[in-house]
Parts: sequence; C-alpha cells; structure tokens
Amino acid sequence: MKLKVCGMTSGENIQAIASLKPDFLGFIFYEKSARFITSDIPELPKSIKKVGVFVNASESEIIDTVSKYDFQVVQLHGDESPEFCSSLQSKQSNLEIIKVFSIKDHFNFKVLKSYESVCDYFLFDTKGKLPGGNGYSFNWNILEAYPSTKPYFLSGGIGLDDVKNIHQFLKSSASKYCYALDVNSKFETAPGLKDFNLVQQFKTQILSNTSTMNYNINEHGYYGEFGGAYIPEMLYPNVEELRQNYLKIMAEPDFKAEFNQLLKDYVGRPSPLYFAKRLSERYNTKIYLKREDLNHTGAHKINNTIGQILMAKRLGKKRIIAETGAGQHGVATATVCALMGIECVVYMGEIDIARQAPNVARMKMLGATVVPALSGSRTLKDATNEAIRDWINNPVDTHYIIGSVVGPHPYPNMVARFQAVVSEEIEWQLQDKEGRTKPDHVIACVGGGSNAAGAFYQFLNDTDVNLIAVEAAGLGVHSGESAATSALGKEGIIHGSKTLLMQTDDGQITEPYSISAGLDYPGVGPMHANLFRTSRAEFISITDDEAMQAGLELCKLEGIIPAIESSHALAVFKQRQFKPDDVVVLSLSGRGDKDLNTYINYFDL
Amino acid sequence: MNRIHKKLQKTDKVLSIYFTAGYPNLNDTVTIIESLEQSGVDMIEIGLPFSDPLADGPTIQASSTQALKNGMTTAKLFEQLKDIRKTVSIPLIIMGYFNPILQYGVEKFCKTCQEIGIDGLIIPDLPVSEYNAHYKTTFEKYGLINVFLITPQTSEERIQFIDSISNGFIYMVSSASVTGSQSGFGDQQTEYFKRIACMQLKNPQIVGFGINNNETFMQATDYAKGAIIGSAFIKHLNEHGVSKISEFIKGIRA
Repeated sequence: MKLKVCGMTSGENIQAIASLKPDFLGFIFYEKSARFITSDIPELPKSIKKVGVFVNASESEIIDTVSKYDFQVVQLHGDESPEFCSSLQSKQSNLEIIKVFSIKDHFNFKVLKSYESVCDYFLFDTKGKLPGGNGYSFNWNILEAYPSTKPYFLSGGIGLDDVKNIHQFLKSSASKYCYALDVNSKFETAPGLKDFNLVQQFKTQILSNTSTMNYNINEHGYYGEFGGAYIPEMLYPNVEELRQNYLKIMAEPDFKAEFNQLLKDYVGRPSPLYFAKRLSERYNTKIYLKREDLNHTGAHKINNTIGQILMAKRLGKKRIIAETGAGQHGVATATVCALMGIECVVYMGEIDIARQAPNVARMKMLGATVVPALSGSRTLKDATNEAIRDWINNPVDTHYIIGSVVGPHPYPNMVARFQAVVSEEIEWQLQDKEGRTKPDHVIACVGGGSNAAGAFYQFLNDTDVNLIAVEAAGLGVHSGESAATSALGKEGIIHGSKTLLMQTDDGQITEPYSISAGLDYPGVGPMHANLFRTSRAEFISITDDEAMQAGLELCKLEGIIPAIESSHALAVFKQRQFKPDDVVVLSLSGRGDKDLNTYINYFDL
Repeated sequence: MNRIHKKLQKTDKVLSIYFTAGYPNLNDTVTIIESLEQSGVDMIEIGLPFSDPLADGPTIQASSTQALKNGMTTAKLFEQLKDIRKTVSIPLIIMGYFNPILQYGVEKFCKTCQEIGIDGLIIPDLPVSEYNAHYKTTFEKYGLINVFLITPQTSEERIQFIDSISNGFIYMVSSASVTGSQSGFGDQQTEYFKRIACMQLKNPQIVGFGINNNETFMQATDYAKGAIIGSAFIKHLNEHGVSKISEFIKGIRA
C-alpha cells in the first residue's frame, strides 16, 4: 500500500516528512486553501513522487507549475472535464494524472467511465463544503461497487485512529484496486505542518500489517497453500536428510565462500545488468537486461547446479542424477559433475534426445551417461519420473539435482535460494545505475520457474516491485497445444509438490506444448502458483509466434540472440505498456545458440 | 469390524494380489477380482491407474498407461465395482496415487468407497503428515483403513510412529526399489525382515515389492503376516490372459 502525504507547505517540514519516505508528497496550488504553498520545495529523494494539486486551474497554469517544480503527478480536484484531462495528457505525456471524485453517502460510479482513458488514477475524497481537506471520512463500503480496474487513492479525513478500519477495509473486496492512502489534516500540528511522529506511526502501523503477507516459503514447506512433500515413503529418508541439512549447509561460511568463488571464477558472475538503449527507445521505457545468457553453459541453470553439487559433496554423496528437457539443465549438471569428478546420470525423454542432439553430445563429452526415458510421453515429465525412480533405487549414495523450483520441499526453496544471486546482483547493479535498488517491474519467463524465482527472490515481499511471469501459450492458450499452466492448470500434485498443473478432469497429467523446450512443463513451481493465486505477480501468456518475433527483434536492436525461453519474456513489451520512467528489469535467462535450428526452421534462414 | 481385520486375525501367510484396473481390457476388472477370490487369494489391491506412477517399475507403468488408453477413470472404476459385494467377500483395497483422488474429491471418493464396500486405501504419495493433518478424519468417517509403507531405510523411530497411527497392517517394502525390480531375496532382505519382526509392532506387516514366485512368497511370509504380488501377476495376465489366473495363484501357494 502506497502512502501520500498531502498539503505540505514549509521547507523544513517537507524535508522531515520526506525522510519518512512516503511514496507521494502533495503540494496544493489553490489560493483558498489553508495549505496553499508559497515557499520553495526543497530537493527530494527520487523515490518520492511530487504531486501538484489544482482546483479548476487553467491548463497553462498547470503546465507552468509542473515545469517550475518538476512535478511527476498532478491531482485535479475541481470540475475538470475528461476533455481537459485528455488535452493535458497529450501535452505532458510523462505526467501522471489523478482525478478526484468526492463521495458523500452514495456515488454514481458511471461518471468514472469517461475519465478511464485520460487519467492514471482516481482519488476518492469526502464530499464537503470545501474541495478537499474537510477532515472526515466517507463510507468506504460504497467502493464495493467500484466498477473499474484503475488504481485509486483513498482519501478524506484519514487519521491514526483509522488504522483498524483501514486494515478491515484492505481485507474487503472494495479495496481490490486501492493503490494508496492519502492523508492530510489529521496529521497536523497546524494547517500545512505535519507531525513527524504521527506520520511515522501511521506508516509503520499500516505497512506492518499490510506487508505481513509472506510470499516466501513457510516453516512447513508451503507457499500459501502450495508446496509440501508428497512423496512415497521410499523417498522420505533422502528428502528428509536434505531438508534437515540444506539451510545449515548453505549458512556455513566455507560453503558460501566456495559457492561465491565458483560463481565468480567459473561461471563468470556477476552477470551484467545491461541498459538496452535501443529496445528502451522502441518501447518508450527503461529496459535493463539481466544477462544470464552470458554465464558459462549459456543460461541461469548453472547457478543452481553449482550450489547443489557443493551440497551433494557435503552430504557425502558419490553419484548425481538429474532430469532434463531441452538439455540445458543436463549440460549444467554434467558440467559441475565433471568439475568435481563425480559420476553423473542424466534422464532425458526419448523424444527430447532425438530433437536436442547437440546437448546430448555435450553431456556425453562432459562424461555423463544419458539415459532415455521410455515411459509415458517420453519427454521432461517422464524424465523426471525416471530420475525419481532412480533415486528410490539408490537411496543412500545418490543426490538428485532437480533443475527447477519444483519437486518436494525443500527443493523449490533450495533452488530458489541458489538462483537468488540473480536478484541480489540486480539490487546493487541498479543502485549503481539508477540510484535505487528496486526496479518498478521484473519480467521473467516461467516453465518450472527457476529463472523467475531467482529474478523475483529479493523482491517477493516488496510489493512496490511489480513481478511479471511469462508463460508459454504455444499455439494459443486454448488451442490444446499450450504450456500456460496458470491459465489452464488446476491445483494438484506433480513430482511431489502441490501446485498448479495441467491435467484432465480425472487427474491425469497432460502433455504441454511450446516451441521452447525449456517452458514445456505441465506444472509450475509452488512459489509461482502462490504468486498467481494471490495476484502478487502478473501472469502473461505468449504464443510461439510472438516469442519468435520478439527474439528476432532483440537480435536486430541489441545484437543479442536470446534463448527462445527468454524471447517469451521479451514479447511482453508488445502486450503491456510501461511508463517512460519505469525501470523494467528483464531476466535474459539464456542464449540462443541451442535454439539455432528452431530459429532456422521458423524464419527459413 | 473391517474385513481386513477379520482376515488378518484368522489367516496366516496372507496372499494379496495387486492388479491395474482397466488392464488388459477396460471391463476385465470384475472378472479378475472374482477369479482371484475363487483361486483362494486372501486380499486384493485394485490399482487405480495414473499417468505418472513414480513409485512403480516398467510393468505397472505400462499397464497403467494401457488402462488409461482403454478409457479407465475413477468414475468408471466405481461404476464397475458397484455390485462387487454381491459376489466377492474378501477384503478389497484401492491403491492409487493422490492426484486423481484429489481431483475426484477426497470426501466423495471415500464415501463412494464405503458405499461399494472398499475396506482400505493405499496412497503411496500421500505422506503420513499430510494424512494426519488433513484427511484422517474423513477416511475414518467412511470406515476406511489407510495403509502406510515402510522401507529398509525407514528409521526405527519412524516405524514406531507409523505403527502407532496405523490400524490394519503395515505395507513393508522389501527393498530400496520401485515395483517389479527384484529377483529373489538375499541376506539383506532377510536381515530386514527379522529386524522388523523383532520390533513386535502392534500392526501385522505385509511384504510387497519383489515377490514373484512361491520361493519369495515363502521367504517373506516366514517373518511377515503376508505378501503382495503385483508386477509378476500383471506379467502373467499379459502372457496368459484373464482365464489362467488360478494357475498363477496355485504356483505361488504350491
């Protein structure tokens, strides 16, 4: 929940309140108001948006004021028409517009319709004698009938006494699109002077409760209602051994040092956070690419296999097994096994072996045994079944390196933690480049979801960061040839985890389709199932065609040939608009070398 | 009193047979059950086929895939079994993976089992902790015995725990393996059988996995209450068809 503090008037007081880092500070340019600002506005931290508040001012007055004070937002508090907003919007394309509506006992929501396309937010205030600043609240239940999906500010006499009511309101469906709380007169020592302690208390109390939502794993191995360890008793000792030890081992200084050193010297980390200038210009926003494609073996997968091979060594294991679809995780596993001199067996569907010959050859060169999975549909899900069967047959000396944030607890969490290095780097790299650690949006493709888990990890509980998960729609979400698990999946059990998966009405797991072998999995990790269920992340489906075109576009604009998985993430820019000053980080999870044949065939190169 | 309890009280060297419902043909289910009872089998595990049976070896996997191809579903199986108690009196257990049961609805599934006269369930991928926390009351409400597994790797402490929450028998997996992958029992298995026998558990144990002939059946039942045969029976069905079931059973008992 965002916080706007409005009606600031004095320089020193503005700086004091700014140090509490509200999301918006409002300045009123209405002479009749007791909070009319006459002083200068001091320099403010970049994370705070400055809002100019106007009541029936002329367009030229607004534009002059906006440019004088460098406002990012204007709030229109009078009878400004949709045409007025539209005209202002067209002249100041970077300016965000909040249109205010006042509510007493009822409200005709139909009036919002004509403002939908000409402003960025609505603000609901209490109807009173004055335009704003009347100091008492309206009946928030009226917002149950809110017909729009536009984010809105809740305003009107909100004070510290309302914290309990606000929490109640935030649990109700009326608050679904409530974006920010707007406070003013109830936090003052005198008109225009805000009480630092009151604002601080309010911010802590509101945020402490609204951000207690934990999107990470809980102590029982669940993300919300998803996760757990639905495994046969035969696997219990192996999984339990891992569960009891993984956090302990990961916290050992020796382990951390070895992991970090290998990521640096062997994998080539940190991977660059590259500002994609031409791509940004094309889509009129600021796009950074997290270059996981530059890692050794060509994708993010190696972050996890390095972590797990070190884990396996510390657990005293002598043999490694893994599953692979396209072969990327198989290659990453064979690589670390060669590095450590440990026996490696990779299970791969018979059909995938036929269509991914170069990766099969790579694994063999690296000394791994590639075993064809001959059961079921002979693809990734069956390779996973075969790897699990191998583990049942070899419970003592073997470690199973799962390639994604799937499988029984603790795998989803362990793999996410190994991949978290991606978002850890994003934070400090963004600090260097943008002066802040948090992007506005993070975009990543999701098959099982390991690259998205890594890119999202540090931002999971920071709801100011919008997370966008991109699934493969294949030939179209409802074409019958798709891998869009969130859209098509139902809750169920796959590979030891309760999550969303594609299945028949009878609970038989179905075979997904995507042009990208890495997104071709019928389930999704439990972390992502929970991000979907709670609406913490946006889920977007991208077809084969959209992905292929986006991949080619990146080649032409930036000189980077992406993996087709990553191309799905890139295709989001055609589907969804971002604001010009939004900082968008996209996880470029892998390079396109492995997909050359698919590109050749698709584009007839 | 549940049919499983009665049977285990009266009988030693209990022979239980597993088969995959809907295999070799969709409508063989009732015929197979009736032939097994007539051949002197003590208990039957009816396998509800699943697309991804990760605790099973190639034989049961292949039979499950075929059964699904034949059109077997949970609803279909219940339909086939609705009059089974008119002709069959030995204990019947449904063995299946959890996802199809979850999709059918756990309570509805249990209720239907009770109506048909199913005595117990074996769900290998429903872990003890989940069962205890979420499903135990439902199973008990419909009089169903839930059977848990132990393996050679299961710790003594955990075996004691599983014994304490079991109420029927314990399914003792003979070795670290998926179904159908053993050929004969060695010293390791004998040691394990003895070790468990010495624990004096309150629930009888029935050994499964790797029992495929008279010799392995006798070895297992030297120490345990009974034994379960699955893959070997399905192989027999595969080679000799539904009409030769009694010969297979005679071979085991011989």
